[in-house]
Amino acid sequence: MYPIWEVPNLSAGIILALIAAFHILPSHLSTSAMWFNVYVETKAYRENRPELLEFIRKYSLLLLVFSYVLGSLSGIGIWYSATVANPRGISGLIHNYVWGWATEWVFFIIEVTGIFIYYYTLGKVDRKTHLKIGWIFAIGSWTTMVIIVGILAFMLSPGKWPETGNFFDGFFNQTYWSQLLMRTTLMFGIAAAYAIAVATRIKDADVRSFITKTASRWGIAGLILGCVLFLWYLKTLPDANRMLITALAPQGLKTGIIVSLGLLVLYFIYANVKPLTIRLFPAILAIAVLFGGIWSTERIREMIRKPYIIPQYMYSNQIIGKDVIAKGVSAEAKIINEKGLLKVAPFVPDGLREINEGNQVQAGKMIALIECSSCHVLDEKGLRAMPQMIRRLEFKPHAEAAEEVAEIEGFIDALGGYPYMPPFVGTSAEKRALATYLHSISRIK
Amino acid sequence: MEINTMLKALQDPMGIPFYPVVFQVLMVLTFALHIMFVNFTLGTSFLSVYGYLKGGENWGRLSRSLAKAATVNISMAMLLGVAPLLFVQVVYDPFWYASNTLSAAWVMGFIFIMMLGYSLTYVFYLKRDSREHHTISPLNKGGIKGGFGIVAFVLFLLSGIIMHALGYQLLQPEKWLQWYVRGNSVDTSGISLHAFQLPRFLHFIIPSFAMTGIFLMLYAWYFKNRTDFDKGYLEWVGRTGAKMAFTFTAIQAIVGFWWLFSLPGGFNFFTNPFFLIGAALGIALLVFLYNAQKDPVKYAVPGILGAFLTIFGMSYAREALRMKYLGRFDYSIFTYKLNIDWGSTALFLATFVMGLSIIGYLLSVAYKSGRVTGEYAATHSMNKWGKISIALLLIWIVVVAGLGVIISVRNYL
Repeated sequence: MYPIWEVPNLSAGIILALIAAFHILPSHLSTSAMWFNVYVETKAYRENRPELLEFIRKYSLLLLVFSYVLGSLSGIGIWYSATVANPRGISGLIHNYVWGWATEWVFFIIEVTGIFIYYYTLGKVDRKTHLKIGWIFAIGSWTTMVIIVGILAFMLSPGKWPETGNFFDGFFNQTYWSQLLMRTTLMFGIAAAYAIAVATRIKDADVRSFITKTASRWGIAGLILGCVLFLWYLKTLPDANRMLITALAPQGLKTGIIVSLGLLVLYFIYANVKPLTIRLFPAILAIAVLFGGIWSTERIREMIRKPYIIPQYMYSNQIIGKDVIAKGVSAEAKIINEKGLLKVAPFVPDGLREINEGNQVQAGKMIALIECSSCHVLDEKGLRAMPQMIRRLEFKPHAEAAEEVAEIEGFIDALGGYPYMPPFVGTSAEKRALATYLHSISRIK
Repeated sequence: MEINTMLKALQDPMGIPFYPVVFQVLMVLTFALHIMFVNFTLGTSFLSVYGYLKGGENWGRLSRSLAKAATVNISMAMLLGVAPLLFVQVVYDPFWYASNTLSAAWVMGFIFIMMLGYSLTYVFYLKRDSREHHTISPLNKGGIKGGFGIVAFVLFLLSGIIMHALGYQLLQPEKWLQWYVRGNSVDTSGISLHAFQLPRFLHFIIPSFAMTGIFLMLYAWYFKNRTDFDKGYLEWVGRTGAKMAFTFTAIQAIVGFWWLFSLPGGFNFFTNPFFLIGAALGIALLVFLYNAQKDPVKYAVPGILGAFLTIFGMSYAREALRMKYLGRFDYSIFTYKLNIDWGSTALFLATFVMGLSIIGYLLSVAYKSGRVTGEYAATHSMNKWGKISIALLLIWIVVVAGLGVIISVRNYL
């Protein structure tokens, strides 16, 4: 257990979610844009249409600046926010997948050197060489997806890893292929939306029309194939996670996916029919709609991972819930229940190691910080705010405070029965302290 | 709780998938590459603004080149920073995570500061060019556009301060609890940076100007055969670079001793072999740069090689110092629990070797195309190298996908 970072009303987890969702825009652009570019560039050379190169230059500058400034940094941002939001979670992933990330890093170098050289040597090296650089970038960049999807899918469905502890058993898990193919097709939809936005900045009407029409076809194909693969992806999800989509995911997010998808398909059809009427503002709006859809999908994917941060191993609150015998790791619940969370956790004030009348509420807060705050803010308002959650228990009218505390204790006992909640760990005195603290914050109106 | 016990308890129970010395060597090597580009970033972004504001033909021209170079240098610094960031979390996880969570708001701030700084660097580079298309006078000091560059430089410096603090807090586990605990409650805001050591910080920053001096020597060497570059201009760049490189390496040596003498007394770090090697390399570099004043162009390539060797030596000395700091609590990466995973280790090593060849091809194209005045036409062997690079990528995908299919069939069918 490391020190806790609280973000008022939001939680550290939401910061991570925001950065991760944003990262999809530049990262999927990076993996897909160059395929579109080499297609257009090949056409420009074969059919001797040098005017198309203006688009190549603009589109690669967008790729360079957007993907390799904001994209690279938000990618590192995911890592940093995971570090401060859930250090033990990211540590667990890194201690299993360090070579996976290191392998991805090699392709990352190929991408970054590739895009700089592609952009800066356009027209300065012979055509074949320039196309080769484009191909190297396109393939290398997509390969980063081949790798990261393994780790991403592992975070939802660990395959045989809990039994074998083997890198590849976790990597090529039951949702790997469906997710990889789904993201691969959808990325063309993302590339198309950007390409149309870039095309609005081109003066030559023929080029604009050609790019918009081509991109809209890529977009429609990408989205439709992506939808089909999405259904396959849902089928490959483990039962427990699929059940959580019904139980946990808000209707708003589900609607968000469908509406954004529908709007985008219509937009691409319209762009195909009337390519020259699309202006920059609606094109950017389309990217915003796209973002809405991505945000909804990724949020649901995160939600249905509960109660785990690493499935079948570590709970969202960073407590190791299950043994991984192959790696010689034991669950922590037993020892914590025996000795007490406040005794074994390193970052606890000395005055709270022993619970007494005087420090009960403070000890309870410390326990709430460790066990609850990764998903619930302790403030009055905000993300799954604890005081509001407790009030939902609807205590009996005119009940004594002690009775209400006892009721909360009963609720804490029952937590393990919820499919998305980690069980409480700690001694009975700690449970009482947590209940007392939760009672105290739920009374403040 | 005893600090030694606490550190053991914080270590990841999964263990590490390969021998710690491999992670250490990779961490130090990639850190050395990273910090070199951090130095280039700070130096080129500073000089590009300096030249822009100073004006004049030479400075104006150099400033434009350096603004472009800065955009590449930042990217390389970030790219090369990812690897040591990864490896430090493998072997020093208790320290890295504790230090980060204690200053969490700054950790996140770092990302946004870098985003802003990098974006402004691009604004400075792209907008200044558009200005110079319209007005030819190099003395036209567009204050606001220079402002973008200045703010970017300040933001980069600030990110350096954050990284320095995180790296220094990490070395002091004895203070973590007092930074976190307030009586019977804890400070979960993460808004404080808790530790700063001036000579240590300066020892990372001063070389920016020395390294950028060598960067300028390389610039003069690289473009010497281009007919569109003025000889007098390149000579001036080389001389300026050599002077900068020597002066700031000398200052760096003084700061180095200041840092050495400010270390905790019991360390006796001046007898540490890693320190002695690092210091010897530094002194040798200083002598070398003194000689380089005569002919900066000739000394450029051995100069950068020598400088990198020195940085690598110094980076290992820094690692040795970290081992000293953490040895106080019996922490050693060499006793980390092992869960050797040959498969994924092989995947990385094979990819790494393959990657070097592909990156080699890309850099060769860049190198060769920049040296010729007109359009670069690839030779037969370069074409072959390009084809091999694409083939290697495809083979990689086929092999990994094949492995995936075999595992999926075995596990699920």
